[in-house]
Amino acid sequence: MKIVVAYQWAPDPQEATVGESGTVDFSRAKPAMSDYDATAIEVGRAVASAAGASLVGVTVGGASVAQPVATKAALSRGLDEVVVVSDPAFESAGTLPVATVLAQVVQGLGDVALVIAGDTSIDNGARLLPPVLGALLGWPVLTDVQTLQFDGTAATAARTLPEGVQTLSLTGPAVIAVSADSAKPKAPGMKDVLAAGKKPVTVKSAADVGGAPAPEGVVRSTAKPSGPARKGIKIDTTDPAAAAAELLSALRAAGALS
Amino acid sequence: MPFQLSDEQQLTQSSVREFAEAEVLPIAVEVDRNHRFPEETVPKLGEMGLLGMLIPEEYGGSGMDPLSYNIAIEELSRCCATTGVLVEAHSSLCSWPIVHYGTEEQKRKYLPDLASGAKLGAFGLTEPNAGSDAGGTQTTAVRDGDEFILNGQKVFITNGGYAGTFVVFARSTDAPGTRGVSAFIVERDTPGFTVAPPEDKLGICGSSTTPLFFDNARIPAANLLGEEGKGFHVAMATLDGGRTGIAAQGVGIAQAAFEEAVKYAKERVQFGAPIAKLQAIQWMIADMATDIEAGRLLVYQAADLEGRGEPHGNASAMAKLYCGQMATRVTNEAIQVHGGVGYTAAYSAERHYRDARIIGIYEGTNEIQRLVISRNYLK
Repeated sequence: MKIVVAYQWAPDPQEATVGESGTVDFSRAKPAMSDYDATAIEVGRAVASAAGASLVGVTVGGASVAQPVATKAALSRGLDEVVVVSDPAFESAGTLPVATVLAQVVQGLGDVALVIAGDTSIDNGARLLPPVLGALLGWPVLTDVQTLQFDGTAATAARTLPEGVQTLSLTGPAVIAVSADSAKPKAPGMKDVLAAGKKPVTVKSAADVGGAPAPEGVVRSTAKPSGPARKGIKIDTTDPAAAAAELLSALRAAGALS
Repeated sequence: MPFQLSDEQQLTQSSVREFAEAEVLPIAVEVDRNHRFPEETVPKLGEMGLLGMLIPEEYGGSGMDPLSYNIAIEELSRCCATTGVLVEAHSSLCSWPIVHYGTEEQKRKYLPDLASGAKLGAFGLTEPNAGSDAGGTQTTAVRDGDEFILNGQKVFITNGGYAGTFVVFARSTDAPGTRGVSAFIVERDTPGFTVAPPEDKLGICGSSTTPLFFDNARIPAANLLGEEGKGFHVAMATLDGGRTGIAAQGVGIAQAAFEEAVKYAKERVQFGAPIAKLQAIQWMIADMATDIEAGRLLVYQAADLEGRGEPHGNASAMAKLYCGQMATRVTNEAIQVHGGVGYTAAYSAERHYRDARIIGIYEGTNEIQRLVISRNYLK
């Protein structure tokens, strides 16, 4: 039995720069695994170990996703093996082509009980990949999952929603999108770093998965939201009463309160 | 010599940075302010494998290469210089000589606990009258059957208050100078061996820096480390690697000060614009960045030579000498970028400045490094 974690190796937004016009420049940002995906692997590791399943990482992207440092970074977080679809055709590919390829890889692996992913991504943050992947696989999708147990047959998931906590159980394969607070990723230890290089890595090209994706819409520009500029006032909340007074004062000064 | 870090070295860097920012940085200011040894961090360091980096896997360590190890020391020191030297003294000065000079029995007895962090390590060489002049060691070790009886005093021993295993140097023969010195492994609970309260220091305030006293402390003869009378050689070989580690600590301290100076320069507005727009600040930032990179490359070179089994004493002395001065320069400039607030405890610039000062002193002063280096050219 396998449990799959879909992860992304993408330019780290922490290293992106935002120009005065709002343009986001990722050109000098080193690629990294997002905290969302590290969380998904942490959840996946616990679930796979409890169920006696193998934990397989799957990712789709350009040339950088197949670089040994990228696969070792993923494997050092607890994956047993990775399957990487790497091709320039998938550089900056959108949700649908990535989900299509992920679905194909998952079906090819066979005996996959769960696919776990982060709730969102570090680049576009569209929160679309798990639902689209579930639709393509024909599997149920649970989003906002904060806790997940799996005994090898049935899964129990708790979803934290604005309205409350919903607990569900399900059997059969499913796609699970875990929330950012579903686990606290631990930094890989030194033995994990060394072991990562000895784990299996499978690299596939676009030709292996049905060819390059069809052209999609492109991002023409990015800009700051329209509307009044933020004032950037920071209030120290150490003393709540003083902070409230300062907030009221600032709102009055801005004309929001009379 | 250009350096391209291996995949494992890059991952070590990112993993240790992630760990240090999550577990070490949040308590760094408090540890410094309260002069408190970060005891709760030790098991976490052990779990991460950061206390067994120089110990082979067969003895419970991770057997990392020296460059990975020095990258880890830099990353830990970037968040907390106290934690950096805690790991450095434990690894370079206690674990390393046992790995390289210990008998199989000694390795099996001491290394697993050092690798896991069940016991911390320390190194006792310096004495009140034998600092830079290690050949002036006055602590004595007199053979009595299957034991040595140790008498004397050590000072400025890093991790002294918390270590369970000490590598200690004492004069065991009548041979003059360095030739009569031997190395011993001393367990903390040895009768006659006591650890005095820690020193109150300018920087690395959380580090436990203590005197050690030996009053007829009986050590099993089986705890002689290396050959009798060859202790000075053990000490110098140990310090060849240790000095690179201290240089890496200096790089980490300087890097932290630099990053905070850059952040402050972008945020601090004077004359209607961030001070980063002023050429005076830009030049300071450029000089700091260049200085740090030069020091880092010297560390990488010394560690790389050691990893390839080549002589590295000269390179490690150069790294230590340069980084000792560089860390002081960079942290001094970081305070200058901050202006008045840099002189207060509201920012960490002053902590980095205080922490940096020790780099040019311990494990061989700048003057001793110059002596080591010049001897290689004035033979």
